[in-house]
Amino acid sequence: MKGRMKQWKWTLVALIPTVIIVFPLYFIAIGGFQTVAEIFHRPPYWFPPRPSWQFYGDALVTLLPYLKNSLIMALGNLALTLLVALPSAFALAKFRLKIGKSTFFLLAFTQMLPATAVIIPLFLIFNRFRLINNYLSAILGIAVFTIPFATIILRAYMQAIPTGLLEAAFIDGASLFRVFRSIVIPLASPAIATAGILTLIMAWGDFIVSLSFLKDRTLQPMSIGLYNFIGQYGVQWNKLMAGSMIFAVPPLIVALLAGKSIVAGLTAGAFKE
Amino acid sequence: MKTTSHVGYFFIVPALVYVLFFGVYPLIYNFILSLKEVTLITYMSGTSPWVGLANYWQTIKDVVFQRTFTNTLLFTSLSLAFQFLIGFFLAILFNRSFPLKGLLQSLIMIPWVLPIIVSGSFFRWFFSDRGMVNGFLLAWDFIDKPIPWITSQKLPIFAVTLANIWLGIPFNFVLLYTGLRAIPIELFESADIDGANWWQRIAFITFPVLRPVIITTLTLGCIFTVKVFDLVWIITQGGPGDVSHLLSTLSYSWAFNKFHFGRASSVLVIMLSLVVSLTVLLNSIRSEGE
Repeated sequence: MKGRMKQWKWTLVALIPTVIIVFPLYFIAIGGFQTVAEIFHRPPYWFPPRPSWQFYGDALVTLLPYLKNSLIMALGNLALTLLVALPSAFALAKFRLKIGKSTFFLLAFTQMLPATAVIIPLFLIFNRFRLINNYLSAILGIAVFTIPFATIILRAYMQAIPTGLLEAAFIDGASLFRVFRSIVIPLASPAIATAGILTLIMAWGDFIVSLSFLKDRTLQPMSIGLYNFIGQYGVQWNKLMAGSMIFAVPPLIVALLAGKSIVAGLTAGAFKE
Repeated sequence: MKTTSHVGYFFIVPALVYVLFFGVYPLIYNFILSLKEVTLITYMSGTSPWVGLANYWQTIKDVVFQRTFTNTLLFTSLSLAFQFLIGFFLAILFNRSFPLKGLLQSLIMIPWVLPIIVSGSFFRWFFSDRGMVNGFLLAWDFIDKPIPWITSQKLPIFAVTLANIWLGIPFNFVLLYTGLRAIPIELFESADIDGANWWQRIAFITFPVLRPVIITTLTLGCIFTVKVFDLVWIITQGGPGDVSHLLSTLSYSWAFNKFHFGRASSVLVIMLSLVVSLTVLLNSIRSEGE
């Protein structure tokens, strides 16, 4: 009994920094329930004095057209990322190819590139091919960062698949594609889930790529829809905060449900070996 | 595993082509741009002339660039130091079992999962003249008039640095926590027997054993901090009057607000050199210890 009490003491200690880290999210959430005057009340309210759902409703109506674009881009990016990352992660984990090492180095290097260093030249290139204001430009642009990230995570996991298992399948006459599809992919499914979740979070939250490549409002994702709230003269802070909260819900749910795999994925994606 | 046929290349080619096409080629193109006079007019007509190092020369002489360079160094070093210290403290705190640990750990990841437009908008309000910080300070009579956190000359870069420290906590925490978990518990137990106190254990066991992890965390943190763009763009857009730019936002602003692609690219090349040299520096510290 005394031991349990001692453990709860640590929960309390850990709660302090956690609360400080979470507090911006709390103020965004309650900001959406207040009028602009209440948001700027001095001192700021800890609880909304007259909570109203109206601004959440308004924000949802304004953002709904952007939702479709966010979904198309996030899912399109996920499909492209897995399509490229899965086979290459397998090859990097299990084959001895001459170009294996240099490919891996290039992937790690690309992941480190500043987004602006890729976006300015890509903008000029895409402009020549009339790809600006096209979903494809944003999907391709985001994938510059999600493909290396996903490949590195998947490769780390696939290295742990016993090589003997794959070789046995070859002896039984299975082709390389067959081994990949029927053995590697099912065995790697936990890592595919992790890489997929992280890819979705990255694409959903993207700001700079969409901002640069999608100028047409009917194509912009929710992140830019929210940014447009700021751009207008006189920011409607309550609508912006309500909208921010709505936009943040999907990644937040994922974080709470899959916190462990996010941690595992981030670690695998960050460490080079 | 050996592949006897060339079939193996089919698997790797998509990734290789992608990286060459969308990572390496833009980078080379970027370098070429930095040696040319590329504005909207010369780009449209396709006649951008070669100008050698003129873009670099003009950039380096520019007062805005000089301030931006100092900003970037300040932003990076302060972010790195505090993110690391907070992350390290949290990692040590969480390196034991207690009730609700899993939940609290997931909550600490929130700055990383939250879309940048959400956290950026928050800090824009938080630091605004009538925002939260001033709201509390004024109400509690600490100050008479609002502090211009993001509307003055000197303060904005510190405001965005503070926001970025918050943003980087999860990353530092995760890497250091994972590293800490790998230290065998026996090491600490034998130190306990020898009568070592908490500080001694941190200084003589945790730090030396964790050294490779610490250097990796700092290296990656450094790279990720130098390239921060979105946060600053959302909070201040580099303003007011270009005082809070980082190299990333300055290059973006020169490219897309002033359509001066050549000079923007010269900023990017300087920024990339900075990233590469910092990485080399930190890696040499690592190999020195071995």
